[in-house]
Amino acid sequence: MEPILSLKDVGFRYDEIWALRGINLQIRTGEILGILGPNGSGKSTLLRIMDGILIPQEGEILIRGKHVSSFRRSSLAKEVAMVAQENHFRFSFSVLEVVLMGRFPHLKRLQFEGEKDLDVALRSLSATHALELAERSIHELSGGEKQRVLIARALAQEPKTVLLDEPTSFLDLKYKREIFHLISSLSKNQGLSVVVVSHDIDLTAQYCHRLMLLKNGSIYEMGEPEKVITESNIQAVYDCPVLVDKNPATGRPRVSLVG
Amino acid sequence: MIAFVMVLGWATHSRGTTFKDALGREVTLNGEPSRIVSLAPSITEILYFLGLGERVVGVTQFSYYPPEAALKPKVGSYIELNVEKIISLFPDLVIGTVDGNKPGVVDLLNQAGIQVFIVNPRNVKQAIETVGIIGQVCGVSKKAGLLTSRLNRRVTRILEEIRTKERPLVFLQINLRPIMTVNKNTIHHDLIRLAGGRNMTQDEPITYPRISMEAVIRERPEVIIISSMERGGRFEKARQEWLKWRSIPAVKNNRVHLIDSDLIDRPSPRIIDGLEAMARIIHPGLIMD
Amino acid sequence: MTDDMSSKMNRSIKRPLTFARVRGISSVMFFLLLLTMIISLVLGTAEVSFKQIINIFSGTIPMDDPARLVILKIRLPRIILAGLVGFSLSMGGVVFQAILRNPLADPFILGVSSGSAFGAVLGIFLGFSFNLGVPVLSFGGGLLTICLVMYLGSKKMGVESSTILLTGVIINAFFTSIIMFFISTTADDRLHTMLFWLYGDLSQSRYGQLAIIAPVVFIASIFLYSFARDMNLITAGEETALQLGVDVERAKKVCLLIVSLVMGLVVSFSGLIGFVGLIVPHLGRMSFGSDHRLLIPVASLGGAIFLIIADTLARTVVSPSELPVGVITAFMGAPFFIYLLKTKGSQWSRS
Repeated sequence: MEPILSLKDVGFRYDEIWALRGINLQIRTGEILGILGPNGSGKSTLLRIMDGILIPQEGEILIRGKHVSSFRRSSLAKEVAMVAQENHFRFSFSVLEVVLMGRFPHLKRLQFEGEKDLDVALRSLSATHALELAERSIHELSGGEKQRVLIARALAQEPKTVLLDEPTSFLDLKYKREIFHLISSLSKNQGLSVVVVSHDIDLTAQYCHRLMLLKNGSIYEMGEPEKVITESNIQAVYDCPVLVDKNPATGRPRVSLVG
Repeated sequence: MIAFVMVLGWATHSRGTTFKDALGREVTLNGEPSRIVSLAPSITEILYFLGLGERVVGVTQFSYYPPEAALKPKVGSYIELNVEKIISLFPDLVIGTVDGNKPGVVDLLNQAGIQVFIVNPRNVKQAIETVGIIGQVCGVSKKAGLLTSRLNRRVTRILEEIRTKERPLVFLQINLRPIMTVNKNTIHHDLIRLAGGRNMTQDEPITYPRISMEAVIRERPEVIIISSMERGGRFEKARQEWLKWRSIPAVKNNRVHLIDSDLIDRPSPRIIDGLEAMARIIHPGLIMD
Repeated sequence: MTDDMSSKMNRSIKRPLTFARVRGISSVMFFLLLLTMIISLVLGTAEVSFKQIINIFSGTIPMDDPARLVILKIRLPRIILAGLVGFSLSMGGVVFQAILRNPLADPFILGVSSGSAFGAVLGIFLGFSFNLGVPVLSFGGGLLTICLVMYLGSKKMGVESSTILLTGVIINAFFTSIIMFFISTTADDRLHTMLFWLYGDLSQSRYGQLAIIAPVVFIASIFLYSFARDMNLITAGEETALQLGVDVERAKKVCLLIVSLVMGLVVSFSGLIGFVGLIVPHLGRMSFGSDHRLLIPVASLGGAIFLIIADTLARTVVSPSELPVGVITAFMGAPFFIYLLKTKGSQWSRS
């Protein structure tokens, strides 16, 4: 089956410095890929490249087999949606208005949203369990609620792939679990491919099908969580000694700090 | 240098004549002043009018009349006086007006031992009197007396002629945009009155009020006088502007005139020329030689 | 969820913005604008009754009648100019606040105003007429500023908001100092004229000017309206907008350019009138929300109403004298702005 998104030998530099080099990656339909790595390893850059915001100087990106450059901006937005780490709304919009923004790529220039758009928006909100927030102002929401709304907006784009940049960094434990649960069910029920960048090794190991460990802009290791999360890998990438065992409830790798 | 002059000033005894100026200050001079600094264009004009042009050693920026005055050293502008420059000219008398010249300047000059005489002519009569006062202070009282009586005669002649005539409503425009005019606390108002007119805006609270076009249309002045600093040009255009409003009597009867602002702005001898010009505008057919 | 549930939800949740709603609210605003214009026609130094106005417009009054001249030659062109200027300033404010993602932006923030002011002051200094010379120089000054700002404010990565803002501030300061120089060295009647212009002066309105301004404003507003949804998304974040499919660079450049040109033109005829472009957009947002498809028409029409009221006050409050209209807008705007800062300040400072 054709990968939904594939990167071949992708390299990107800011001015003189290479942030990413030699990235080869294929994402399958319905797959959840977790991207791990210390700060500065190129995680956010990689996400932005997948979204088409940054153009790599080396290599090529294919979306469902077609070159990314062959897509118009608005068509690209129907394939890939991103939820960024920071979202500041300068002016006050209602939650529904925010989610309807996701319909932008589906509408013509002077066209107003119609029944179908409203329907998609409401369904997206209900998928993220945020439907009751529809009339509230985005500024009134808590961190977790806002995150769910933004994921709903991404869903409203009706993409094939959703990219999430540190979706749970500022959230309480309860909401961390909730978001990852949501991600999991979205990929299962709607066949979405999800790429999650996270600092939380345990959580990503728990919920992702595959993991990618980035170090200094290159892929250090990629594969099943058991293969990627090992003591030597973590030590090598994070420069920190750890103990890795199995989470007794789920059987996935669990990382513990030593001394 | 300033210290030297200050010592000199202190050393000079008050042995001469004492005059009282417009602020009630006592100003003492030893004999006729021969190095005079003028702090206003009107004062410069008066000095030259009295034949004292050679004694003038410093003038302010816009002292262009008579033309010779423009060649004299400049001591700053009416608003910003250069005290050091004044002191460096070693004047034995400085003459200034109440408006514009800051009191701090007067004090500084006094400290440097320089005598400062302030005049304050607020209307035409006082303008003529000022000629006499300055003449007296500068030691040319006789000549000043002759000149002032000549000026007074010209004024009286006009007053006699307009005495029996009706006073038309006059609108004096002193600025183009915004339209600005004068209230009764101005020398311009005095001119209108003496020239036999009625100032349309005499009761306005502000001295130089901005007025709307609608107000002029409503008041229906019979004569419009535009004060201008240049011949033709923008102010001629201003006159053309008025011609659109034919409901105003002044426009309908072709009585929109320009007057040289130099003749009516300054309390100098030329203000009598201004008075005559205005009288001719307001009451055409006046006999004056 | 089930279809039954979803249709229940559909009915209870407020519908998103529709064209009908935009049209409806805009019509109400337009009606209010006409009402304001009519009331302003009646008010003024010269007494003109409402009956006279009807007679004037139905042509039953002689050509020379003073009331007719006052209404048709002084008040009406002035009111129309105030409406057009208020409309433009407010529209400019909305666009700048959106594109620059800055609630404190007004249409003058990029320095177009000071460039235009410099041109106008120079024109006044040189003695040019207010029908041709001064507006031409003023517009030229504005154009020059736009070019400078665009050139200096653009980097490799395109037009970056904070850089462009900073450039605007610097240019403002530069031109202001030149203007101060002119003001401090001019002693004659030109000084009054300069100062009066700098505070805003709508009194010299001519139909010829209106014939130039009106179509430009109209066309510009249509153009800008087509970017309304782009603006919505841009306020949510430039990267967000980008990934949602907005051509952010193009939107920014085109909108900033169009607004700046309109500003340059409008300011060259009206002088500098502050607060309208800052306050009215916020009033619009507080009343009708931040969706620019509704905000643009509402705020623009609101700005027209606002300035007509301000100008009418300017010419009636101290009748027969006149206040500069910029003073009135400051009096109307400043207290409201303080109120805004108090209620929304915390929201805005979250950057």
